[in-house]
Amino acid sequence: MSAPPTKDLAAGAARGRRGGGLFRAAWRHGRTRVGVALTGLIVLIAVVGPFVAPYTPTEFVARPFETGVDGTVFGGDNRGRDVLTRFLWGGWTLLILAGASAGLGVLAGTVVGVIAGYLRGWVDEVLMRVNDMLLAFPQLIAALLVMSIIGPRTWLIVAVIAVSHTPRVARVIREATRAVVEQDYVKAAEAIGLPRWRIMAVEILPNVTGPLLVELGLRLTYSIGVVAVLGFLGMGLQPPTADWGLMINENRQGMIVQPWAVVMPVAAIAILTIGANLITDGLSRAAIGIDRGVGR
Amino acid sequence: MPSQPDHTPAPSRRTLLKFSAAGAAVAPVLAACGGSDGNGGGGGGEPRQGGRLSVGVAGGGVNDTLDAHDPTDNVDIARNFALYASLVRYAKDGTIENHLAESLESNEDGTEWTVVLKEGLTFHDGSPVTADSVVFSLRRILDPENPQRGAGDLAGVDADGLTATDERTVTIPCVEPAVTLPEALAEYYNCVVPEGYDPREPIGCGPFKVAEFVAGEYSVFERHEGYHEEGLPYVDELEIVDFPSDDARVNALNSGSVDLISQVPHAQVPIIEADPDLGVMESETGMWLPFTMRVDTAPFDDVRVRQAFRLIVDRQEMIDQALSGYGQVGNDMYARMDPSYPEDLPQREQDIAEAKRLLADAGHGDGLEVELVTSDISAGVVAAAEVFQEQAREAGVTVNLRRVNPGEYWNEEEGFPYPFGQDFWSARNYITQTAQGSVVGAPYNETMWGEHEEWLGHLEEARRTADLDARNELIREAQEIEYEEGGYIVWGFVNLLDAHHVSVHGLEPAVSGHPLGSYAFHTLWKDA
Amino acid sequence: MMLRLVAIRLFFGLLTLWAVSVVVFAATQALPGDAALMILGRDATPERVAALRDQLNLNAPVTVQYAQWLHGVVQGDLGTSYSNRSPVTEVLNGPIGASLTLMGLAALVATPIALAVGAFSALRRDRAFDHTTSLGTLVTAAIPEFVVGILLILALGPGGLDVFPSVYSRNGGPEQWVLPVLTLAFAVAPPIVRMMRATMIEVLESEYVQQARLKGLDERTVLTRHALPNAIGPVAQVVALQLAWLAGGVVAVEFLFNFPGIGKVLMDAIENRDVPLVQAVVLLIAGVYILVNLAADVLGLAANPKVRVAR
Repeated sequence: MSAPPTKDLAAGAARGRRGGGLFRAAWRHGRTRVGVALTGLIVLIAVVGPFVAPYTPTEFVARPFETGVDGTVFGGDNRGRDVLTRFLWGGWTLLILAGASAGLGVLAGTVVGVIAGYLRGWVDEVLMRVNDMLLAFPQLIAALLVMSIIGPRTWLIVAVIAVSHTPRVARVIREATRAVVEQDYVKAAEAIGLPRWRIMAVEILPNVTGPLLVELGLRLTYSIGVVAVLGFLGMGLQPPTADWGLMINENRQGMIVQPWAVVMPVAAIAILTIGANLITDGLSRAAIGIDRGVGR
Repeated sequence: MPSQPDHTPAPSRRTLLKFSAAGAAVAPVLAACGGSDGNGGGGGGEPRQGGRLSVGVAGGGVNDTLDAHDPTDNVDIARNFALYASLVRYAKDGTIENHLAESLESNEDGTEWTVVLKEGLTFHDGSPVTADSVVFSLRRILDPENPQRGAGDLAGVDADGLTATDERTVTIPCVEPAVTLPEALAEYYNCVVPEGYDPREPIGCGPFKVAEFVAGEYSVFERHEGYHEEGLPYVDELEIVDFPSDDARVNALNSGSVDLISQVPHAQVPIIEADPDLGVMESETGMWLPFTMRVDTAPFDDVRVRQAFRLIVDRQEMIDQALSGYGQVGNDMYARMDPSYPEDLPQREQDIAEAKRLLADAGHGDGLEVELVTSDISAGVVAAAEVFQEQAREAGVTVNLRRVNPGEYWNEEEGFPYPFGQDFWSARNYITQTAQGSVVGAPYNETMWGEHEEWLGHLEEARRTADLDARNELIREAQEIEYEEGGYIVWGFVNLLDAHHVSVHGLEPAVSGHPLGSYAFHTLWKDA
Repeated sequence: MMLRLVAIRLFFGLLTLWAVSVVVFAATQALPGDAALMILGRDATPERVAALRDQLNLNAPVTVQYAQWLHGVVQGDLGTSYSNRSPVTEVLNGPIGASLTLMGLAALVATPIALAVGAFSALRRDRAFDHTTSLGTLVTAAIPEFVVGILLILALGPGGLDVFPSVYSRNGGPEQWVLPVLTLAFAVAPPIVRMMRATMIEVLESEYVQQARLKGLDERTVLTRHALPNAIGPVAQVVALQLAWLAGGVVAVEFLFNFPGIGKVLMDAIENRDVPLVQAVVLLIAGVYILVNLAADVLGLAANPKVRVAR
């Protein structure tokens, strides 16, 4: 099940490209800049939106699915709440949930990957076998199963997505670590008897930032998708929260008479994921010289 | 996810409907509104015989049944109206009229009823409908080993004492005064079947006989040539298609694969109205979606809190937002179709200042936080909860919504009956409704009402009173007590929306709460 | 050597499947509420609940219940659906067929086009077509599939050009398949395009192809006889991986189009808390996912051009 680019990533890591340089290298690609612009636009809407929204997200301003109402730009949603306001409020939850789950997943995956890659032996064996099993579970199905059992809770959304990222990140970081471990500076550190946790934290970790950042980008793109699809399936955040995924679910029925309530969150999610993927692509080109982009 | 009103996992009161007894003259005048007048629904010239009518009905599943006395789901009910007929029935305005019966009369105190059948009635197989068929049908419903849905309504009937006095006459003795017997006999599920009836061979005396039936998918019916209403039904063939999904149902009408559909989601009405080939029929009904406050649990054990909550609701806004405007404002009393319904009590309006004062008096001056349990048990219920949450904010009341799965809403393990919850009820008259939801020990007494002595006194006396005027006066007193102290917030009554192609005629709104004018397939006809 | 590798993968595949079964069973055990109560719904009386609990063996220890459940699953008995009280296998029959058809059609539409586009990009490396394709795949791969579906509905469904229906219905025509198939095809294609391009570039640069060129064979022959066959292995692997992904990805798409497949069954079963049905569908999807992944692995091993060239 291993995707071929893994080895290239490891090679990139071995070349020792570190964080700051990577960003500069990535910025040279036009795509990265477009990606940053797109992502920045949506993040701006999500962050500033609640402060500039004309109404509160639960106020009634129109009949359900009514358009062309005085005082509203895009009319009312399925309950008659202001579509523009709900749109402006609905982004930050998505960003926070996606960011948190991608961050946690990458963190956990990095810890597992570095430990497995550096310690090798039975630790590696056990960790990787468990990893394979976790990988065998389709991400969305796992999330749906857990949500349906415990019920849709915010922390659970983060936890489930983070757990589903962990094995995928761990596999990549393990490869990268194994390449770094062969390097002289690691051998030197071992020779002077540095404790193993220090070697992992100080010598190895900084040298796998390339693949790490690429992974973070990939997982972030994917997290946005999963959080949104959970909302869309009614298994994410619950009403009356303003949330882009949920907005699409709630307003789907009225799409013909009130398209705005669906079009706006759909466009926002599309632009956000495209932007994140373009950045990821730029990072991975800079890190390993091939284009990668989102994988599943 | 799409929801189907009147569709719950188990056979229950959800689909029971009760109407006022004869003489519901006081009931609100019910009008057909919507876009169908003239071109579709009502008029359309001389009815045309023949043709095939295809109907999309909300609901359906592998549990579908043709059993005359055990219909559960909406589609079961639709097929029941097509296949079977009862002794008396509800007319479109909610009054009771004769159907198979020529007359239905009781003795002075309502302990013995006599029914005489019309002449020349036949079942689908050509055999005559006799007094013995009626006795068999009632005994099948009341079978103590396997009581059918109608057994509860017919509780006072002495099954062993039923006698066929001649070919067309049956006497029905009752162990106690049964003033509501005509209502019970007017229910579609208390219909007449031939002796030795087997649901696998569903023979009845309704306007159509079955030709094909696939559970959860569709069924096809043919005209019953021996149907007792002269000239009816108009169409030769009737197809009823199951549509659990709202979108798919509307889609089927749009694409012309069905001629009419039941229960259009409010959001889709503008789409249908925009199409000149389609029309919408709106029917006022007595169906209500109350908030339920437990009168024995804090904070709702204090009548001031209950009244404050009733004053918090802006009823018109509730109807506008939760029902897209398709509803009638309620006045915290149910049984709107009952002739006793107190129209004269002042309409309760939103009064936040008074609500705040009452809450402060009750010791909640610094605000109050409550949990409202909601569920997608019927269209508009969850929306109403969200609207209430917003309206309560103004009065300093914080409402936390807890959403429960529809299948588990009435489960005691979830906490039912909840201190503050919701429900939906079809139209019934007052006495029957209290038996279902308001007396101690009622199957769904979600407000824990019923211990109020004065109220109980009125109710019990009404149950014993055969004289209509005296009974109505007692019910009015009881209604007023609930208006002042009860646990329901009855904010509105739901209008039902059905849609049809303009080539379909003969559709008229009925107050029953059953779609398509109480599934009146026998009165429908199509342009050539 | 090869056989041993395959055997090891197979063993781990089965082990994983077993682990999944434990997880699924344990997870559904944790569901709040009592199965017997759930089945009886509002008909529940204490006697009937007790009787049904006995009948369902709910009083037995959890491990015994698991063993019985697994025993049933192995024999193809997935239990009885709570919501409609008929065997799960019966409930799933139609939907499995529908989903397989949908996925098959999507793969059939997506794969040839994706392969052609990928190969052509490789030949036109770093030219306009290649750049456009690369950007196009980046964009389509990033957007969640339900968003792609909605965009397609907005463009081609009612409200847009109104050429295809946006909701599946029992008596609808074949045109109602178009949008769901297209949505899935869009979701599946990008990785295939990228893999085809990358592999083709690698093959075209390999000594093997260079030699063929040196021999003076014309470019067409080089491509069809030498380059393409060597690219098939890794590409087949990606195609298989995409099929595996389809098993899970189909859920949101079926939900969107109201398509009567296993994804819709799963969502309905979750809504109704129909535990045996949830168990069955999750197990089924995970099983397909694992098996197809396994097939992809074996394919990769069998057709790895590097292995072949080395031989």
